[in-house]
Amino acid sequence: MVDLPGDPSLGARQLARGITATWWYTFSAVVFLELFLVLVWTLEAFASPGDATAPVVVGAGGIIWWLSTAVLLWAYRHRVDADPGVPWTRIALPLLIAAAYGAVAGLATDSWLLALMPIAQSAVLLNWPKGVRLRIVVLTTALLFCLAFIDGARGAMEPGAPGWLPALYAILIPAMSVSSLWWWDVLVTVDRARASESRLAATQERLRVATDVHDLQGHHLQVIALQLELAERLMGLDPDAALEQLQAARVSVDEARQGTRDLATRFRSVPLGDEVANARDLLTAAGLAVEAEIAADADDAPASALGPVIRETTTNVLRHGAGRHARLTLRRVPEGWRYEVTNDVDAEAAGEPVGSGLDGVRRRITEAGGTLEIRDEGGDFAVVVTVPANDGVSDDRGGSR
Amino acid sequence: MIRVLLADDEGMIRSALAALLRLEGDIEVVAECEDGERALAEALRLTPDVCLLDLEMPGLDGVEVAERLNRAIATRCVVVTRHARPGVLRRALASGVSGFLPKSRGADQVADVIRRVAAGARYVDPEIAADALSDERSPLTDRELDVLRAGRRGQTTGQIAKALSLAPGTVRNHISAVLAKLSVGTRQQAVLLAEERGWI
Repeated sequence: MVDLPGDPSLGARQLARGITATWWYTFSAVVFLELFLVLVWTLEAFASPGDATAPVVVGAGGIIWWLSTAVLLWAYRHRVDADPGVPWTRIALPLLIAAAYGAVAGLATDSWLLALMPIAQSAVLLNWPKGVRLRIVVLTTALLFCLAFIDGARGAMEPGAPGWLPALYAILIPAMSVSSLWWWDVLVTVDRARASESRLAATQERLRVATDVHDLQGHHLQVIALQLELAERLMGLDPDAALEQLQAARVSVDEARQGTRDLATRFRSVPLGDEVANARDLLTAAGLAVEAEIAADADDAPASALGPVIRETTTNVLRHGAGRHARLTLRRVPEGWRYEVTNDVDAEAAGEPVGSGLDGVRRRITEAGGTLEIRDEGGDFAVVVTVPANDGVSDDRGGSR
Repeated sequence: MIRVLLADDEGMIRSALAALLRLEGDIEVVAECEDGERALAEALRLTPDVCLLDLEMPGLDGVEVAERLNRAIATRCVVVTRHARPGVLRRALASGVSGFLPKSRGADQVADVIRRVAAGARYVDPEIAADALSDERSPLTDRELDVLRAGRRGQTTGQIAKALSLAPGTVRNHISAVLAKLSVGTRQQAVLLAEERGWI
């Protein structure tokens, strides 16, 4: 099967990290809003005449309530993985705390607004089904607004005094928190869309390859069937012609196989430096002592010219592998790039000249404006290839296979 | 005469190849085996000159059979495969396999490789070599690969640490580095990925 890129890329991982960072941003925005609200109301309780314990009740209770909302927010973070709805067991305690804080703080400051605000804020942080949260926000905001008026009418707050600022803050906090959470929801949706988009692209690519394989195989199988049928008919009449058809059928099979292989390896290519490193590993595994010197910027070397050289020479060294050591060098020279492979050749094992099979490679190198030199240095055999650097020219690796 | 043992779990291919090789005047097929264990036993009994082993066989695979044979007797092994997975050529060469070629090669070419290998040469098919050269390089360090290898059968962090003489915390650090590099969620996924790519 063709190995298609279905794994999350580095970019995907960074985006996933970005999503986590956005969550913490949203989380801290909401908790700071709440903390500041508690602070403002504590100062308000200080400023207003009355019970000296009121600021303590509002402040200390506020911290407890604040912590309980953090629990709710944490549950909200994992909302996307959970079923919609409200798991009562987990949220009962935070909601009780909110209600209790509202009751105590409302009594202490004699404010209906402060009595309702904590439970209203906690309620909008819950994992409501779609559409419900908006209605709850509108409802609680309206209710808080009315209570602020009632407080004003009862004289709990002097209108015009700085007291209306905490009131306004308390009225608006559910809406402000929800807009932060809404923004977070949008980002999660966008992230999911991106993930499914990349899955879709991979699936489409797979389908395309499957269609290509099907077309290719279908065509070749049809040709082979015809050639075999012809051979069958000819067998009695003209055995020589029948044999010819059988041989033609074998060639067709080879073509089909090669075509499938080309399809499967179309996307397989590695940077040139990696290719040399793979060659080093293979030769080491074959028992040779290998020295490799790979320039750090080896991936910029012209792969379409040097790739076949690396493949051909590595195969040759492996094939005539009675040698004990090899040296691979890929480096920049004034003329461009030079790849040099040296190995010792055991004269007994050499059934054919080691440079054989390099003719096709030499032609390609000459076309690329380079030189290929084969040296025999007293038992050490060296192939030295120099090609001009193709700076700024896009390199067609796919065509090199 | 070159005495050859054939091992392939696909009966049609095995018998057709055996028939074709018997047509070559200088090759004698002394055994046909349908799995790795039998190939190992027969080869130890018969000491053939060349063993032609399919890579994908149930039980022991071709490279494993070759590795054990090379330790035990003087025979030369040729591995054939339909699809060379990444890293397999490196493993085969390290195990002392003398020849490696794709299954798609004709019987005449196979016979030719058998002759070369019997004469003491090594043969690696250019197609297989090209595939091996374009294997994706592992982004992991040797130590990280050691950790994955030590934990590939689901061993605990403690067991890995003991096996590699490392502190459990160090092992955990290596594992989290591996997970980040491969962008997978669990150690098991990392092991599967590394095995698939031939890194371990």
